Amino acid sequence: MTGGTLGADPVDLTPDRAPDTDAGAPHAVHRRRALARFVGRKVLITIGLLVGVTVVTFLLVQLVPGDPTATNLSETAQNDPAIVAAYRAKWGLDKPLVVQYFTYLGNLVHGDLGVSQSTGDSVLSDLAKYVPATLEIAIPAMVLSLIISVAVGLWAAVRKDRAADHAIRGGALLGLSTPSFWLAIVLLYVFFYVLGIAPNGGRLSAKYAPPEHITGMYTVDALLTGRPTVFWDAVWHLALPVLVLTCLTVSALIRFVRSAMLEVLDQDYITAATAKGLPRRVVLRRHVLRAGLVQVITVSGLAFASLLSGTVLIEQIYSWPGVGQYAYRAAVNLDLPAIMGVGLFVALVYTLVNLAVDLLYGVIDPRIRLS
Amino acid sequence: MKAAPPARRVLATTAAVLLALAGLVACGSDDASSGSDATLTVDTSFVVKSLDPGVVYEPTGNVVVHALYDTLVTFDGADISKPVGDLAKSYQASDDAKTFTFTLRDDAVFSDGTPVTSADVVFSLNRLKNLKGSAATIVKNLTVTAPDEHTVVVTSSVADPNIPIMLTMPAASVLNSKVAKEHGGVDGENAATADKLSNYLNTTAAGSGPYVIESFDAASRIVLATNPKYWGTKPAFGRVVFQNMDIQNQKLTLSKVPTAEIALDLSGSSLDGLPTELQQTSSPSVYYQLRLDADPAISKATSNPKWVAALRAAMDYQGIADLFGPGGEPAAGIVPTAYAGALPASEAQKQDLAKAKQLLAESGVGDQSVKLLYPALTFGGVDLGTITAKVQSDAAKAGIKLELDPAPIASFLDQRKAGKVPMSFSPQQLNYPVAASQVSDLMPGGADAMKAGWTEERADPATVAAGKKVLATLDPADQVKALQDWQRLMREHSPYITLAYNSGVLVASPDLTGATYTAAGWTVDVADIGHS
Repeated sequence: MTGGTLGADPVDLTPDRAPDTDAGAPHAVHRRRALARFVGRKVLITIGLLVGVTVVTFLLVQLVPGDPTATNLSETAQNDPAIVAAYRAKWGLDKPLVVQYFTYLGNLVHGDLGVSQSTGDSVLSDLAKYVPATLEIAIPAMVLSLIISVAVGLWAAVRKDRAADHAIRGGALLGLSTPSFWLAIVLLYVFFYVLGIAPNGGRLSAKYAPPEHITGMYTVDALLTGRPTVFWDAVWHLALPVLVLTCLTVSALIRFVRSAMLEVLDQDYITAATAKGLPRRVVLRRHVLRAGLVQVITVSGLAFASLLSGTVLIEQIYSWPGVGQYAYRAAVNLDLPAIMGVGLFVALVYTLVNLAVDLLYGVIDPRIRLS
Repeated sequence: MKAAPPARRVLATTAAVLLALAGLVACGSDDASSGSDATLTVDTSFVVKSLDPGVVYEPTGNVVVHALYDTLVTFDGADISKPVGDLAKSYQASDDAKTFTFTLRDDAVFSDGTPVTSADVVFSLNRLKNLKGSAATIVKNLTVTAPDEHTVVVTSSVADPNIPIMLTMPAASVLNSKVAKEHGGVDGENAATADKLSNYLNTTAAGSGPYVIESFDAASRIVLATNPKYWGTKPAFGRVVFQNMDIQNQKLTLSKVPTAEIALDLSGSSLDGLPTELQQTSSPSVYYQLRLDADPAISKATSNPKWVAALRAAMDYQGIADLFGPGGEPAAGIVPTAYAGALPASEAQKQDLAKAKQLLAESGVGDQSVKLLYPALTFGGVDLGTITAKVQSDAAKAGIKLELDPAPIASFLDQRKAGKVPMSFSPQQLNYPVAASQVSDLMPGGADAMKAGWTEERADPATVAAGKKVLATLDPADQVKALQDWQRLMREHSPYITLAYNSGVLVASPDLTGATYTAAGWTVDVADIGHS
């Protein structure tokens, strides 16, 4: 038995009860200050982390065997010293590494992530183009995953060791064991080639011009610019990559949800709530689910960050021009500014997601907020 | 119970949003789809960084730039034997093959209506040279002048009858110099650092070709629309959409026999099982070659001529060619059969294991193992690991031990460039459709040969002389013959073993006409494609 004292605390059974208003005002001020200190600390840590990422990424790229001139110039051009020298001078590769690094850092302070050797565009504008594409599949996949995994995970926990529980755990294990690229190819084959009900990849059918860039997400931009046909075409193109990402994320989340819910179900206060005569639906929704979500949110945050940064294969198979493909091309071309830009983006995503998770703890669990 | 009402409110709100959305769709006007019935879709795995002719050299970039710009001369369809006029209505070569005088046509205009003049040609070729990008190699020996508005004189510091062919390449496209200068274009010697035009050319074509850019995204799709002021024959398709698509997806897409769609990367085994209604055109333009280091300090085995000859005799050339599917051919020499100068198929090399074993014994190298470096990737629809495994297996039959050493492409290129690799394998293509262009690189002392440690001292004098003869021959027909003689010697006395040729293949839907693969360097001329 764990957490017996928590279970005995009657406050936990009425978590949405309004606090005493007289005592609440100074307490709220104190909480706001604490929150500001917390966020300030996180921002400082983030800045330190990002600088650390630049150092590590820069050093790692230098350690990788390969020369950007070999990957960015034709083999014949590499035989011409004048062309090689011009390339190195153009991209600052002729300067000592320390100078290259501090030049990069100096530009970074001014918000300049440099120019990609692969695209010729600024890394910032590249990221502004490719990140929304990834967000467009990651957000719906995450929302669907959370809904499905929480519902199914809770259901499995309630039916612990019954047939349904075993089936769900087996299904989750199968999903975890399935390579993402394989699932993506199979779904493409079935839904595009065999059934003919899905597109063959890309963000939009060839006959449509993309909507005007507002957010970079075609679905949103199509709605904002009043192009419903393009909106539905963009949704149609989203379906398969979102389905694959959802399947994979659900498989990973279900087991966490189930174990988190089982842990809560074992608590004395759940027994007490049930003994008080509360309907089972209310006990599950208001007490089990809410308490269990704290752990689920931690894992979901990491899963979302992973979706934003690790969908290379899915993007490749579905010809989805997201940040994963951009990172892949940058790595293949030893495109240092782009690699650094993606590295910073991924670090920023993980940091922000963790910050959001920390803040959500307080929203979901008043005990954490009060502490 | 107070929880239920908020939940219901959420549900009601969601339903309202969905209804509003559905309403929007129902009320929405038909979306502008830019003429869907006149759209040609080109599926290809993108290899493109820029649509600036001054820096373009990758396959996808070449196809697109060829559709956006005109060059002085070009090729008529898939016939790459002789350049024909494009912006130039005629040209004349001097006897010493150093001076070429082009006369421009009067009716060619850029997409803004400005006439094409000799000043535009001079600006474009000078910019190409001075940008010092990958494509600059084709014009590095050239000087371009404009005696009058309609005449361009190209002078080469080296005698070369193939200069007009070089000028067919998309990199030699002619830009609207006025527009280019307005947007940061520089053609002077400082162009490599001062030119700021590239980004502009990724969104706006400053050319006189049949198409202009509608949109460009190097990761997903490139859309072209017809140039309303095009001076030549209007293309049949008003819109061309290049879609970035991997090979498996291209195969699935074409397997459904779509309309107005072509795929550029299906080759080798990826062609197996495609519906017979689809059109396929090809031309063997890629050669797959082993390069062995001739420097004893790098490898005692690969620098031993008898060991190299043993390896050469051990290869099952036909078996290797079969791995490429119907487009594969056993190599006779170095030059693929798409180009003038290729050796006839009757001279294709054959496996001789008894000879290989004898030569291995004579070499005295014994069973020393040699590492075979290759890029771990699929090229032309064939996994290069499969080819090297076959090479390893063939070599083993003669008692030669090879150790496969796959490397990521960046590492492979870097190692090969450093020239310390005993043995490497890679696919090779010509920079422009002139086979003689390979000679200067591959002959002893050439840039590639030096990376294989093949100096003139280590080479057979007759082979060196044959290479020099190719470069000194100015008559194209004589040059072809000299090229063939050189290859016959290279086959016996060089550190290169060419294994097979493979075709680039263009697969097109049955409703298209003029969708023909060309070995010219731009794969297909999309402006030539029409409806049946």
